[in-house]
Amino acid sequence: MGRFGWLLPVLAAAACTENATAPGVCPTFCPSGSISIKDTIFGAIIERDSSFRGYLQGYQATLMTAADSPGVVDSRSFFTTETMITRIAPKAGDTTTVPIVVDSVRLRFIIAQRDKQATNLGLKLFQLPITVDSTSDFASLDPSFTAPPLDSVNITNLLAQAKTTDTAVIRFWSDSVRIDSAGNVLRVQADSSLLLFLKLDTLQAPLSPPDSGRLAYGIRVAADSFARLSLVTEQTSAGAGPQLHWYYHYTIPDTISTKPDSVVYADRVATTRFDSFVFDPPSAAIDSNLAVGGVPSARSLLRVAMPKFLHDSIDVVRATLILVPVSPVRGIARDSFAIEGRNVTADLGAKSPLGTTFATTFIHVGSADTVQLELTNLVRAWSLDTTQVTSLFLRQLPEAASYAQARFYSSRAPAFRPALHVTYVHRFQFGGP
Amino acid sequence: MVTALALAIWPSGRVAAQDSQFGIKGLGTPGRWESVRARSTGGAFAPFDPFSPLTDASLADARRMSASITGGTSWRTLEPTGAAQASSLRATRFPALVIAGPVTRRIVVGGGFATYLDRTFGVRIQDTIDLRGVQEPVTDEITSDGAVTDLRLAAAARLHTRLALGLGFHLLTGSTRVVATRSFADSTNYRNSTARDEVAYSGAGGSASLLLDVTRDVRLAGWLRSDSRLRADIGGRQVAENDLPFSYGAGLQWRAGAQAAVAGTVMWRNWRGASPADSNSHDTLNWSVGAEIGSLGTPLRFGVRGGQLPFGVGQAPSEVAYSAGLGRQFSGGRGRLDIGLERLERKGTALTERVWTFLVGLTVRP
Repeated sequence: MGRFGWLLPVLAAAACTENATAPGVCPTFCPSGSISIKDTIFGAIIERDSSFRGYLQGYQATLMTAADSPGVVDSRSFFTTETMITRIAPKAGDTTTVPIVVDSVRLRFIIAQRDKQATNLGLKLFQLPITVDSTSDFASLDPSFTAPPLDSVNITNLLAQAKTTDTAVIRFWSDSVRIDSAGNVLRVQADSSLLLFLKLDTLQAPLSPPDSGRLAYGIRVAADSFARLSLVTEQTSAGAGPQLHWYYHYTIPDTISTKPDSVVYADRVATTRFDSFVFDPPSAAIDSNLAVGGVPSARSLLRVAMPKFLHDSIDVVRATLILVPVSPVRGIARDSFAIEGRNVTADLGAKSPLGTTFATTFIHVGSADTVQLELTNLVRAWSLDTTQVTSLFLRQLPEAASYAQARFYSSRAPAFRPALHVTYVHRFQFGGP
Repeated sequence: MVTALALAIWPSGRVAAQDSQFGIKGLGTPGRWESVRARSTGGAFAPFDPFSPLTDASLADARRMSASITGGTSWRTLEPTGAAQASSLRATRFPALVIAGPVTRRIVVGGGFATYLDRTFGVRIQDTIDLRGVQEPVTDEITSDGAVTDLRLAAAARLHTRLALGLGFHLLTGSTRVVATRSFADSTNYRNSTARDEVAYSGAGGSASLLLDVTRDVRLAGWLRSDSRLRADIGGRQVAENDLPFSYGAGLQWRAGAQAAVAGTVMWRNWRGASPADSNSHDTLNWSVGAEIGSLGTPLRFGVRGGQLPFGVGQAPSEVAYSAGLGRQFSGGRGRLDIGLERLERKGTALTERVWTFLVGLTVRP
């Protein structure tokens, strides 16, 4: 410090931070320029729009929908399981096998979506031939789905049950669960999806050696109203689809064991081999309108003819795609689904590769309201980079997971064609006083 | 010294003077071509101080290679008339640097930089506009950071024991970083819009000055300066060109013994002539009176200044300032540290500005 110690506060004062911005007293003490904003609806900016179908089939979807609304839609899910062993080698390396005896079976579903206001929401399980595959349709499976169900469970009642407090049960299920009188178990997961475990006996889940232990089941849903739910499929991730958990035992013969006729208890999981859903009425055929959704999934390609001035000296602050529905989307009331607008990296028509910039909005079943999709990021990118392809795909999310399909007027309907509502700021004129 | 030289060739926006809202509508706020010593006397000693870039003839008194730098931190309060809210601003600047040294017994060459026009400001404007049928609150923020810097190369010659002549060439350079941002209260649907640019300024000027020792204790100074047009470019494209003022002034200094000196100056600048089409430009007359008392090693200074500002709606805004300061030599007179404090008040149509400025100056003679 010494004789120059007094310099410290001097330097500290000199190092103070800047603050040069004050509320403007305009126009007297403001720059002569100003930030001007414009708001324009470009009615004819969407052109050469088309719809294409067949991107994803129902069996490729990440969800499968079961719904029942008489006169509106009847959607049924089904699946087959992987093979199950019928015999087992009681000793490693031994060529001798013994039969297994099934004690019980649990069938697990993950219910991703359901109407939380639905009352008496129930699920019915039907036996289906194991030959079901991607060629199966609503009509061919109808006899199996109209037969008496193998089992049923009332999800509303299960949800109304108190959570079990038995520590042994909690330890087995790894969480608190709800159990009904039939032994069906329900666990609510953190993301509000439901893990449902149906308890089946050996008549409901017979172990058939000729079928290599494979089984096929169909699922219908029922409720007082809003009967609809979506089940997670194997396409979401390995093991996420329906699972059969086989609990069995077998006996080790005296000849290969020191202990006489010892019994071994074991279990094994059979995952989903194939899953899909069928519904009636089927998705409408593509016409001159823009179709989005349904199964097989439909997408619409919209080409945007950006005016030159949208590239020059402006800054897009909001851009909204306006779509007029041809009719309200059919389906279960209070249902909704997401549609996504995503850019394409090259305009190759139906096979245009998808880009990474997207926007989403929700469409509500039964609503005839104009749909508005915020495309600000996309239009800003087009405005700044003239090399980008100014086209976008509209598609349903998740694709092919629901019968619901939206239809919008295309550019061929002049009065209702898609439009782009753009709000933009003119470039500030710097340099003047 | 290296730092000082680096600063001398650094025409950045940080080389700025004292900001003012009155400069927003015009070309800027004129800088003060004064060292801390001169500023502490209200500017009255500037024509006679070799380390104030106001006149070139005063360089004749720099009998050794010397350098001086001025820095200051100001706290500014804005009080708009009728507005409910006053605001406080802060800035730190290095408004002047002078390096000078004799090349012969009679000729001294010097140079450095000073702020010609300060262009640092920021305004925040809040409004509500109709967007898509909805009243949308928006906030605009327009900021400018930088200045027009005066790079000077000057020479002073002692023509006679009582007469010194100075000539200077001035290169006006510098730039401002300008940003205009509009932000929306509804940030979910609306993206902020930001435009940025850098405005580069260029121009040239010349100056001449005389120092005449009327008696042993009385010294007269006179100076004039003329500058070319100030050109503003963005990305190499000219966006504006403005005339700059012709200015002249005179000063008188009286040494009342070995430990007291009193001085006064007056300066006129025809800013109206520089921008005749702009009704908000005004000619300015600025004056100052100040004194320095005490020994050379530890002098005490004070002064007062007044006058007008060149830009303002209606009548020319006026300003008055009171200042005081101290100096202290060290290292046997090879260095000198000056500090000063200035209280400034500017008044114009719809606004009063009050500024406290703390000044620090360092002069070294290696």
